[in-house]
Amino acid sequence: MGQHLMAPRSHLSPGVPSRFFAALVVLFLLGPIAIAGIVAFSSGNRLEFPIPGFSLRWFAIALSKPQYIEGLTASVVIGLGNAILATIAGTGAALALSHYRFRGRSIIQALVMLPIAMPAIVLGLGLLFTLTIYDMQPGLLAGVLGHAVLGVPYVVAMVTAALSNYDRSVERASMNLGVGPVKTFFKITLPLIRGGVIAGGVSAFLISFDNISLSLFITRGDTLPLRLMQQLLAYADPSVAAISTLLVLASLACMVLLLPLALRRR
Amino acid sequence: MQLRNRMVPWLWLAPAGALLIPFFLIPILITARNSVYIDDPMGFLKPGLSFASYAKVLSDSYYLAVFGNTLMAAAAVSVITLVVSYPFAWLLARSSGSSRGFLLWAVYLPIYVSVIMRVFGWMVFIADSGMLNQMLVKIGLIDHPVRMINEVSGMTIGMIHRYLPLMILPLMTSLQKVDDSILRASANLGGGQWFTWWRVVMPISLPGAVAGTQLVFAGVLSDYVIPTLMGTTKFQLLAPAIYYEATTNAAWALSGAMATIVIVVVASFLVIANLILKRVAPWASI
Repeated sequence: MGQHLMAPRSHLSPGVPSRFFAALVVLFLLGPIAIAGIVAFSSGNRLEFPIPGFSLRWFAIALSKPQYIEGLTASVVIGLGNAILATIAGTGAALALSHYRFRGRSIIQALVMLPIAMPAIVLGLGLLFTLTIYDMQPGLLAGVLGHAVLGVPYVVAMVTAALSNYDRSVERASMNLGVGPVKTFFKITLPLIRGGVIAGGVSAFLISFDNISLSLFITRGDTLPLRLMQQLLAYADPSVAAISTLLVLASLACMVLLLPLALRRR
Repeated sequence: MQLRNRMVPWLWLAPAGALLIPFFLIPILITARNSVYIDDPMGFLKPGLSFASYAKVLSDSYYLAVFGNTLMAAAAVSVITLVVSYPFAWLLARSSGSSRGFLLWAVYLPIYVSVIMRVFGWMVFIADSGMLNQMLVKIGLIDHPVRMINEVSGMTIGMIHRYLPLMILPLMTSLQKVDDSILRASANLGGGQWFTWWRVVMPISLPGAVAGTQLVFAGVLSDYVIPTLMGTTKFQLLAPAIYYEATTNAAWALSGAMATIVIVVVASFLVIANLILKRVAPWASI
């Protein structure tokens, strides 16, 4: 390799110190997650690491706690509802922004991305003020709508990325052949950008599933993260780790199932 | 036909508008409006135009301490994550094959694991009788266990862990633009390692560093979970304080003023960072 002769070695292959540093950072990033995952299998009653013995009893305890099951149900309902709303709103916005030139386009582009930059605690407070005006109570519906606001920018970003290498001539051909705009969208456009749409919807779901700052204000404190937080504040036991570990496994399974669908070409 | 064509983009935008106008735009505007209303001691919000809430928030020593603590935490976490991320993102940008895959996975995984699980792991690790304290005592760095959980130190560790990936990823993206040929050119023209870093690598990566700092800074500023679970009441942060004022105290004007100040701080940080970027790195388009 000629490169080695011409460039300082350190630019190309990392030396021992930088490998050591990278190992430390990886340990820092993954260590606490691994500890939580291991404590979930503890046979002890306290939070101790290394664990005294292996057991599945905390999984059984976690799954028999009604507050966790209710929390899980609320989070899944809010997550799915938000993913559907955010995907529809975000896909439409991405299509409008990348296919059309119109007045106020740059302002609208900034506006749909703004929920990412807006501190969630501020948005939560604003929604708390606003819900009373709409005569709405904090709860599932408010949770779905509030979380969907957070999901929109992620869907817009991912669908826009999918649209950037998308050939509009197919769509025009379809329209010229007399196929209506609605049918063209579902038969031509949507299949071509499916990967971005699915990735956006999954992101919206995952973001909602882990949200606390917004749910504090607009739900009845019954989503799973809020229930787990209450448990950690009151009495931390390995059941929190057990339910979290199950969720990680579930989201891994989701990714394994959805990834081929998102990546499949045409 | 002409009119219909002009309507089409707005039809596509209608669902987003139906969601974002009532549940994003109006709530933000109402927050700003409430901030100039008056908190009635009876528990009602009285309409008006008063800057009493701002005056209170910006003069009372408790609120000033909350703002000061939060800005300090945000600055500290931003600086620490930036310093740790630079060499790591550099390594990540220069690696390839399976080692790159593993490093990327290690950065992405924490983002997908719930923050509760991450906090739980830290609680176990840094507990008074936890592994970290035991290790530090064993190697003789400390004589007796140090309290970290529910202290500023533990909270800072938790925040660094939460926000480190958000710094590494944009930095890595911009460091990938540093091509080997540019490095060779610099070396061939006599540039030493420091010169190359300062005059070539750093300027190219500046947009990534700015983007990462913005994400981390805004994240710490509005973080509710970590201060609540890992922090201490002796070091109050903004997000829990806003929640407390709005719900327990029902001080809507006051919490509105605090939230409006948060928006102003985040927005001015964005604007200033982009102005600096335009001046220092005019080629970077953000």
